Amino acid sequence: MSQVLANLLTTQKKQLNAIAETWLDLGAAAFTVWAGGALLARWSSRATFVGNPILAPIYLAGELLGELRVFGAGLDHMQRRLETDALLISHMAHLERDLEGMTSRLIDTQDQLLALYDLTRATRNYLDIMDLLEQLAKSAVRLVKTKGAFVMLDTPEKTPWTAHFPNPILPESDLRLYLQQLQATPGEEALYWDKVLNNVGQHSSLLMIPIEVRGSVIAALGLLDKTKGQFTSPDRKLALAIAEHAGAQIENVLLFQANLEQTRLETEMDLAQRVQLQLLPQYPPGVEGIQLWAGSQPASRVGGDFYDFIVKSNQPLTFTVGDISGKGMPAALLMAMTRTVLRTQMNTSPVPTPEILMRRSNEDLYDDFTEVSMFATVFIGQYTPHTRQLTYANAGHSPVIYCPAGQTAQLLEADGAPIGILPTSLSLDQKMSFRPDDVMVIATDGLNEARNSRDEMFGYDRLMRLIESVAHKPANDIAKALYDAVDKFSNGTMQDDDQTMIVMKGMP
Amino acid sequence: MKISDRKEGDITFVSLAGRFDIATMDPVRDWFNEAIPAGKVNLVVNLSEVTFVDSAALAVLVQAMKRSREMGGDVRLCCLRQPVRMIFELTRLDKAFEILTTEKDAFN
Repeated sequence: MSQVLANLLTTQKKQLNAIAETWLDLGAAAFTVWAGGALLARWSSRATFVGNPILAPIYLAGELLGELRVFGAGLDHMQRRLETDALLISHMAHLERDLEGMTSRLIDTQDQLLALYDLTRATRNYLDIMDLLEQLAKSAVRLVKTKGAFVMLDTPEKTPWTAHFPNPILPESDLRLYLQQLQATPGEEALYWDKVLNNVGQHSSLLMIPIEVRGSVIAALGLLDKTKGQFTSPDRKLALAIAEHAGAQIENVLLFQANLEQTRLETEMDLAQRVQLQLLPQYPPGVEGIQLWAGSQPASRVGGDFYDFIVKSNQPLTFTVGDISGKGMPAALLMAMTRTVLRTQMNTSPVPTPEILMRRSNEDLYDDFTEVSMFATVFIGQYTPHTRQLTYANAGHSPVIYCPAGQTAQLLEADGAPIGILPTSLSLDQKMSFRPDDVMVIATDGLNEARNSRDEMFGYDRLMRLIESVAHKPANDIAKALYDAVDKFSNGTMQDDDQTMIVMKGMP
Repeated sequence: MKISDRKEGDITFVSLAGRFDIATMDPVRDWFNEAIPAGKVNLVVNLSEVTFVDSAALAVLVQAMKRSREMGGDVRLCCLRQPVRMIFELTRLDKAFEILTTEKDAFN
């Protein structure tokens, strides 16, 4: 405490000089200030301590700082005045101490503002959640001066992340419990445990601050053990400021990640679409006795539709239409695989009839399809020009619409389950003559399941009636009429399946 | 998509309601993924309240059927509405699944 008085002699020198000089003017021999029995200052420098001094103690908040002693003859009646001066000095000491406190708080606040500014700059560039959380934990330790910190984030979509600094301090399961406690008490500023953590060893206190992201508490900042003493009110305020900043940063990173995911999906979709389109033949082959048209309109979410023509010398023309259940890249890859297996079987089977191609392809693909829980409906047709015979096998594929010249259209139903459902294919060869003006449309369910704004489906009946009405036209006009009618029906309603078809028309 | 289930003896009856397609199938797939490994392998899926199934939904049923058969059980379907029955017939999945007319048939 003597230091307080010594400081005051420096900082309030002018005022003390004035008081001392008044005493000297009044005839005092010396005006002195003492603390702990030692002389701190005297006026004037040549003063001599003669006679019995009058004394007045100087207190600060009830504690003795020191005393004033005034030497000289005949001053006894001025005791009261000296006490007043001592009181004045006490008051000055009091003001001085308040000022010091305020200054130190200002400096602290200034430091904290600077530190937060640093934190903002340091974390602004993180795009990875874990990097960001680590940096936040690290900054919190430095700013609040604690032994350790952690930041945990628990979004509904993903497994929780926790970043510790410097080391993991508590088991993850405990941390999650604390976070749940914060979530259960919305509006609560913080959770504070003091000496509740004895069961985890040397730790004595934990300050948990909720972090709000988009209005809900999905993260928390935990501070463990102040380096010196306990967490104070300013510590809490600082931690709250860090948590607020952390919330904004986490939100940014989550948004960025969501965008990234979206871009990745779009890239995948784009790739899937390219895989699909590149594998589809651009033009059907020219075959004597029939007109062929083939095409596919990919949906917004890429499906697994495919069609293919396999032309080999001295063999009937083989054509396939298929639809893989599912969407996106997996469907596109399985579609590519199915197409390859069908082609390979065509090249390696001694008598590659549709039934044999179907059975062998199913054997090849069954395990892979089972693995990924998908299947493929497949139609395989073969047309021999000189006999005008059409042989086909149908594994669960629909719609296949046959419209004999001048007659009503009919649905050719499949006789076997799709590829990938049963270990053995049950589809058998079906044989028929395909005469001039006969029409066959092998489409995928994207056509009959096209929807309008009232959620009604285009359906098989409309499809068949339409085919009857345009059966007299060339194959490409029939295809155009079908697409136009479906487009008109759905009238801009987003379709989520590919629309694929092969149109075959018998020529004279 | 509403899912409800009840157990009678060793048969678990699952009732689905609504459109069953790529947009609504996730909870159904999750239900099977939980139930089958937990030993509910004798399943009867009641589709009487299902108005539509697409190929993605069919794939969910096929996956459940394959998994339950691997564990000595089966997924049987019952009470199909006409449009849904047609989809099973056209895709010939009626050859892969046992299809019941009523829930009672499950005990025969």
